[in-house]
Amino acid sequence: MVYPRIMPTLEPSTEDVVIYECCVLYPVLQQKDEQAVLKEVEGTFEEVGAKQIAKDLWGRRGLAYSIKGNTEGNFVVYYYEMDPSKVKETDTALKIMKNVLRHLIVKPPKGYVIQKYSELYEKWLKERETIDQVKTREKEEKLKDQVAKRAKQQARRTDERKKTEVAEVKKPMEQADLTEKLEKLISDDTLDL
Amino acid sequence: MAQQQNTQRRSDPRAKVCPFCGKGTKYVDYKDYPTLKPYTDYFGNIRARYYSGICLKHQKMLRHAIELARFMGMLAYRK
Repeated sequence: MVYPRIMPTLEPSTEDVVIYECCVLYPVLQQKDEQAVLKEVEGTFEEVGAKQIAKDLWGRRGLAYSIKGNTEGNFVVYYYEMDPSKVKETDTALKIMKNVLRHLIVKPPKGYVIQKYSELYEKWLKERETIDQVKTREKEEKLKDQVAKRAKQQARRTDERKKTEVAEVKKPMEQADLTEKLEKLISDDTLDL
Repeated sequence: MAQQQNTQRRSDPRAKVCPFCGKGTKYVDYKDYPTLKPYTDYFGNIRARYYSGICLKHQKMLRHAIELARFMGMLAYRK
């Protein structure tokens, strides 16, 4: 994915040094333990004489599968400039380290642009939410339309029923009137036919 | 005859275009969950090139990225 260039491209300061990207996964801990873990990880890099370029704290995230009984974990991504001969040392140190579930040291390609994936992920989550919201909205609108249609149909039916009832009521009344009038006419003695 | 030929053809006969080539991608990042996710199916397998239409160059990059993401627990091996 090509994102707009927010941060400068990675270029090592000298020829003996290579830039490495280190992603560390550690379990959900209390704040003190968390900071201790981060300090320890950073300490291992500093021991080797690595220079930190960037750091990206992802925070708490759900894992796709449980790792050592943890369904959630915290990610940190570091960018370090260090001697390539000392990568193995740090790798083993990270492997042994307590409270580190997984770690990965990768050499990013030339011209790699550092992205703040913590922010991008949150943005994506928000966008996804909006998509879901749109879907729910559409569903609700459909339901509303259906309800309105039903109400209209019912109203029509009731109107029709009323009209028919009125007509039915009116007709006998007229007939009654007619019979009354007829009776009156018949009973009238003044009329001579 | 013409109708028969039409029915045998695919609904959309246009050739599939690699979405990564369109963007000019040079490296698929394993940390980029939103781009990797649609290229795995419900069971966590990587979608075949036949369905997604990705070129071989980018499929190889994508596979590598997905494997790294799986190791870090961002994507599932098997669901």
